[in-house]
Amino acid sequence: MNQSSLGFYLLIFLAIPPVAHLMESVMIIHMHMQMPMLIIAGVLMARFFQLRFPKFFEKWNSDGIPGILLFVIVMGYWMLPRTMDEALEIQAVEIFKFISLPFLAGVPLRDSWKKLKPIGKNVIFVLFTIIFAIVGWMYIFSDDQICNNYLVIEQITLGWGFLTMALSIIIYLFYATFTDPSKYE
Amino acid sequence: MIKNRNSRIAATIVLVFGIILFYVGTDGFKAYTAETARVNDLLQEKPMFPEVTLEDSNGHTYPFSEFKDKYVFITFLYTSCATVCPKLELNMSQVYDLIPKEYFGKDIVFLSISFDPERDTPETLNRYKDAFHSDGVTWRMARIPNQKELNSLLDEFGVIVIPDGQGNFTHNSAFYLVNPNGQLIDVMDYTKVNEAADKVTRILKNETEE
Repeated sequence: MNQSSLGFYLLIFLAIPPVAHLMESVMIIHMHMQMPMLIIAGVLMARFFQLRFPKFFEKWNSDGIPGILLFVIVMGYWMLPRTMDEALEIQAVEIFKFISLPFLAGVPLRDSWKKLKPIGKNVIFVLFTIIFAIVGWMYIFSDDQICNNYLVIEQITLGWGFLTMALSIIIYLFYATFTDPSKYE
Repeated sequence: MIKNRNSRIAATIVLVFGIILFYVGTDGFKAYTAETARVNDLLQEKPMFPEVTLEDSNGHTYPFSEFKDKYVFITFLYTSCATVCPKLELNMSQVYDLIPKEYFGKDIVFLSISFDPERDTPETLNRYKDAFHSDGVTWRMARIPNQKELNSLLDEFGVIVIPDGQGNFTHNSAFYLVNPNGQLIDVMDYTKVNEAADKVTRILKNETEE
């Protein structure tokens, strides 16, 4: 089985109603497991599109910037508290989630990442560190219940999840700055 | 050069898509949480209070139409709640104190509705009402014994109640104002006591002058 079909099967598996329902019943699994897995499914499937439409990617995403911009926008959209609620309440939004995350975030991410210059990659890392830290802060210290479908305690858990992610990226950036991989090869 | 131009075009298209996506997703940059969107929808829809039967802390049973020709200031709660509800009711009592006394009974009624009819019996409600100095007449606390009727009301007013399995509920809180025709006309932030009291007083003043 090649990676494109693996990605496709992963998407189908995640979309099976009982699986989707189970993952969406816990806020942090919904946002930090289901959504990233949908993106991973797209990253795997990207190979298929790259082989099938090489000219399209070469022509419109030659420097990787349009693709990574699309990735950032789609990521940002799904971090809005409202979209998570609506994915549970409105079927069309749920379907849009299963289409946008793999195909409008996962696929462009893979195509763009290799084309980006190191500075571009660092900008993305720093950008997401800041976004995750702010969003995490918001979920932890908001007095109000931000999402109507989840308990406040779940909201706080999710907030810490975001802060952990931000911290992990910072550790990675330190690691990448102060170590030289070629020494270990 | 051409490569760069294409990339610029693509980036512009992506950006426009992003703006449209966020615009549609937040009702024109107005509602970033489902709660704001819900309140905005309610204010536009102005749903009718469904016909339900209430049982209050005095054990009296009557339909909601009992309050016909009066404004009704409503909150939703359950008495075992230790977090938001006491604050909600405390704020409600402050609003009660801020509204001129002459309007009570004739022009406006305060009503706290429990969405936990199993535990919130009239006796429980009676004890709870005393804690907030509610008189049980111009400010009533009531349950809706019929679960089906209760659900229709919660649904109509967009109150989302999630049981956590340990006897507690998570729910969204607000002040609701229903007009003399039984129509929901306002949903107010329950943390802004003065704002709510001013608004209600203004409405009552206009009403009685007409």
